[in-house]
Amino acid sequence: MEVRLKEAPCGFISFDHSGYINEVNNTFLEWMGYKQENLVGKHIESFLTMTNKLIFHSYFYPNINLHGYVEELFINFTNHTGESIPYLMNAKRFRQDGNEVIDCSLVQMKKRIDYELELRSTKKQMEEAYLEKNRALAKLEQIYLEIEKKQIELMEINSGLVKISNTDKLTGISNRRFFQKKLEEQIVIYRTVEKTFSLLIIDIDHFKKVNDTYGHQIGDIVLAKLANILKIQVRTDDIVARFGGEEFTIILPDTDFEEAILIAQKLNRTIELAEWTETGNLTVSIGLATFSENDTEDSIVKKADQALYVSKEKGRNRATHFRNL
Amino acid sequence: MNDLMTRNNVKVMGQGEQTIIFAHGFGCDQSMWQYIAPKFAENYRVVLFDYIGSGNSDFTAYQSEKYSTLQGYKQDVLDIIEEMDLQNILFIGHSISSMIGMLAAIDRPDYFDKLIMIGPSPCYLNDTDGYRGGFEQNDIKELLTMMEMNFAGWASYMAPLAMDQTKDPKLTYDLENSFVSTNPRVAREFAEVTFYSDYRESLPLLKVPTLIIQCSNDSIVPIEVGQYLNKCIENSTLQIIEAKGHYPHISQPVETTNIIVDYLMK
Repeated sequence: MEVRLKEAPCGFISFDHSGYINEVNNTFLEWMGYKQENLVGKHIESFLTMTNKLIFHSYFYPNINLHGYVEELFINFTNHTGESIPYLMNAKRFRQDGNEVIDCSLVQMKKRIDYELELRSTKKQMEEAYLEKNRALAKLEQIYLEIEKKQIELMEINSGLVKISNTDKLTGISNRRFFQKKLEEQIVIYRTVEKTFSLLIIDIDHFKKVNDTYGHQIGDIVLAKLANILKIQVRTDDIVARFGGEEFTIILPDTDFEEAILIAQKLNRTIELAEWTETGNLTVSIGLATFSENDTEDSIVKKADQALYVSKEKGRNRATHFRNL
Repeated sequence: MNDLMTRNNVKVMGQGEQTIIFAHGFGCDQSMWQYIAPKFAENYRVVLFDYIGSGNSDFTAYQSEKYSTLQGYKQDVLDIIEEMDLQNILFIGHSISSMIGMLAAIDRPDYFDKLIMIGPSPCYLNDTDGYRGGFEQNDIKELLTMMEMNFAGWASYMAPLAMDQTKDPKLTYDLENSFVSTNPRVAREFAEVTFYSDYRESLPLLKVPTLIIQCSNDSIVPIEVGQYLNKCIENSTLQIIEAKGHYPHISQPVETTNIIVDYLMK
């Protein structure tokens, strides 16, 4: 070996195809505290810990054989005191006179490795933090989705409750509570855009007799059936409700006195002509009122009620408007 | 499904009637067979492939979950066999691939004629029950760290290299660079799966005739492991090659070939 290679500012080892060391330079011997005879003739493995052996065999060996070179391999060699010394190693396969040798140059990386380890642990921490952030974010998203789901559920429950609270259980049409709300709304509309509306109160004639003769069960069926007829007969915007007992109301928005009477009379006929298999026949009496300037929520109901009373007085199965009293 | 052939970079050579599948080990790819595969191609149909995450396989097909045990890799092998409709297979696996082949042969013994394991180990870690796999937990931890610190190197090693690709170093260089970013995670996970694996309990389930080839002075797998495998695998033969290292098919290709040929002739 040339003097300058012996004393080169890098370690130099050369070994054969099987890994037995042929040559080593002084620089490497000095770094490692070895003498020539400690290394030459020995297998390179003798200076590798289990892990480094594994790196050597699973990485270095196939690589040098398949590609002819290895660059920048980080590997530790064990020095004379048994300490692992980190090196950066380049290797090249060299063929001479039919023989194959593997030449390696080594640079110590003691300080570098400290930096590298520091970098590595910082990188690890950053990765951890990043993962943690992602996990937290995913969790938040999950929570957000759950809240959204719960909110939809609540809204559904709520709208269900609203519907239940506004519905008459027996007939399935709106109840008095809903009627009151709609009546208030109509009055507001009257006051703001001056659109009048009419109110019908419908009472089944001789309903007590139905109950007494056929029983409450049939009475209930008759109520439900009438509710259904009313619902079918009215216009889209009309509001049918069960006022209580055998009394029903219909609010006719944007409907004046004359039109209301026509609608009520038509209802009388339809109900009379309907098929009442349970009772043979059925009629209703209707009282009407149309909202005017001095009316209130109570007064219009009262007026319609008075008109209803007159319909009953006059022989039932008819409609009477308060204005004609 | 041509996709599968591309996915695992499957290469076929030779014209023989019987098929040999060569399966590379950890940290390698099919190019490791270049010293012995051509010889077998004279009399057999030779199938070479890369596991997902290795060599020139489709890295996008890599799923951490699937490949978190050897079962994922075993499935790749069975997929290839079924896709190519192979029968009476001779399976040659190096190192961890011996175990992958074993799992495949336990699942579908009907596909296989013989298994040849080169430098196999069912478990790399030493066990408290007296089993000596050769490694302590700390060795493996240190290895994973060293692997991380050799990232670029590992990536370049895993770079796809067809057998004649050394002719075009530029191409190799490009490919090396293209894998630097994806490879480290895959390499690390493959290392973990490999070195933390323990398939000792599966050994008695293997019924396919098996040849175990071990180096007399294996640097990675202690000699007792070969004997242990020989004892636990019912229909097995143990052959020791006078060699140091873990890659007899690279270091002593002729001798390795002869041992395999002898066994196949029996």
